[in-house]
Amino acid sequence: MNAPPVTRGLLGIGDPSLAAHLAAHGPLPTVPDLADAVGGLTGRGGAGFPTARKLRAVTDAARAARTRAVVVGNGGEGEPASAKDATLLARSPHLVLDGLQLAARAVGADTVVLAAGEAVLPGLERALYERGDGGRVRLVALADRFLAGEETALVSAVDGGLPLPRAKTPPVWQRGMQGRPTLVQNVETLARLALLARGEAGEDHTLVTRHTAVVDVAEVPVGARLGDVLPLHAGVQAVLVGGYHGSWLPATMAADVGLDRTGLASVGASLGAGVLAALPGDRCGVRETASVVGYLAAQSAGQCGPCLNGLPRIAAALDLLARPGPPRRGLLEDVERWAGLVVGRGACSHPDGSVRLVTSTLRVFAGELAAHAAGWCTAAPSAPPFLPVPAPTAVAR
Amino acid sequence: MIGDGAILWYLNRATGLVSLLLMTGTIVLGVLVQRQARIPGLPRFGVVGLHRNVSLVSAVLLVVHVVSAVVDGYVSIGWLDTLVPFVSGYDAFWVGLGTLAIDLTALVVLTSLLRGRLPVRAWRAVHWTSYALWPLAFAHGLGTGTDLGSGWALAGALGCGVVVAVASGVAIAGRITARPVLDRAPAALAAATTALAAGRPAAASRNR
Repeated sequence: MNAPPVTRGLLGIGDPSLAAHLAAHGPLPTVPDLADAVGGLTGRGGAGFPTARKLRAVTDAARAARTRAVVVGNGGEGEPASAKDATLLARSPHLVLDGLQLAARAVGADTVVLAAGEAVLPGLERALYERGDGGRVRLVALADRFLAGEETALVSAVDGGLPLPRAKTPPVWQRGMQGRPTLVQNVETLARLALLARGEAGEDHTLVTRHTAVVDVAEVPVGARLGDVLPLHAGVQAVLVGGYHGSWLPATMAADVGLDRTGLASVGASLGAGVLAALPGDRCGVRETASVVGYLAAQSAGQCGPCLNGLPRIAAALDLLARPGPPRRGLLEDVERWAGLVVGRGACSHPDGSVRLVTSTLRVFAGELAAHAAGWCTAAPSAPPFLPVPAPTAVAR
Repeated sequence: MIGDGAILWYLNRATGLVSLLLMTGTIVLGVLVQRQARIPGLPRFGVVGLHRNVSLVSAVLLVVHVVSAVVDGYVSIGWLDTLVPFVSGYDAFWVGLGTLAIDLTALVVLTSLLRGRLPVRAWRAVHWTSYALWPLAFAHGLGTGTDLGSGWALAGALGCGVVVAVASGVAIAGRITARPVLDRAPAALAAATTALAAGRPAAASRNR
């Protein structure tokens, strides 16, 4: 790590207890107008939606519908390469619970839910017990699926249904859990609310999961130079920015990119779920992506035709292109054509995000694809996979 | 020459018979839509459009069918009988089945026209009643119709019955054997991997 990032703030000192939380941050003050106090804070779940607008929308929708709103903390980190939400929930659960409390008060919610993976729930139960508000926050265990944290899939799961995305109209801020206006916020966003309410700096940093020789979670300044927060050793070929719905950038281009919306947008990327992965020199970018896209295809909800029919074909073709040896003629063109056919045609952004990764792979690893066609591959035969991909679940044919 | 009353009578019989054919066609096309099947030369949205338009034409014929029956003074069927089943002065039971079918048709057509504004589940629940609609109309035709007693008309009607039974069987079997939603994508991936590795194009996967 050439430039140690800020580790205080959200991730604390590693003691998740209420006493340590209060010692570091003090008691939670009352905030008269939270939407006003959060300023330009944007959601940290991937979409980057302005939090103030969401708070106001839910408040107004609940008033218009003459019902009480619901607040759902989203810890459904389905992204296998991301660990920031689980790390945050394990290290600073009280900041997240403070954020939930603030959000619930702001939108007038009488139901508060915190949904997260099975592994972090015991720690959250302990934290709720410490605060004495165990009954006020309902903990929901989420399935280990890529789309589990997608807003509508999350609401469906919390309502007791399958963790699958639903139609986007009406939106969840109007009709979400139990048909009530629902505020869904990523857990990091909630923790940042808790900092902002106390007058601490909250919105100028963001959590990222870094994949280099090791995997860690760090809090880095928004707008920092990518090369300063992610060590790019000699030999690094490319950087995956934003996770499995993100894009590859060549290492030379990545180093000077600013980690904010405009900086990343200028190179066609976005921070997404906050994943930064530096592909070492002895791995094959096509091979790595092919295995990720196979996982993404299998994780499709299977509800929208273009996604169900497009992603498996793209994944199967990419798998063939990842092997050294001349590919079938027209296979690469097929992948490009299929990628164009699925964009904007799903109920959620799964097809769009998945082909964003695919098209950036075809661009950045064009040289590697040509080498494969000539019978060569960069990866050492014995090199283990670099990007984490969960084992597929068996399905009866 | 055909007299005034006779015109209405011929109109009534003709619209009844043609509606039976069109409703049979609607059911078959509806099953094709549900099974996501193709008609050669027609894209899939064309199958959906055909299902909708054939059903609308049959609904228009039914209006003519009902109006001609009421206007015709030869049988005592009033305007109330077009809405309320089993109160007709003429053949109350068999006409009543027709009235029930008309009520259901109106409901199915109305909810389908408003489909974009209704919850999908409500629309689907109403649409399921079209399975009852066809048998009601069929029984009405057999019971009160003057043409379905024998000959080619009866043979045609029974043929329609067989077609509807087979189509419904296909639809129900398709629902029973449908893959659980969470298994669809992994199965589609396995199929695409096998096909592409063998150099074949991958077959289409169904999202229902």
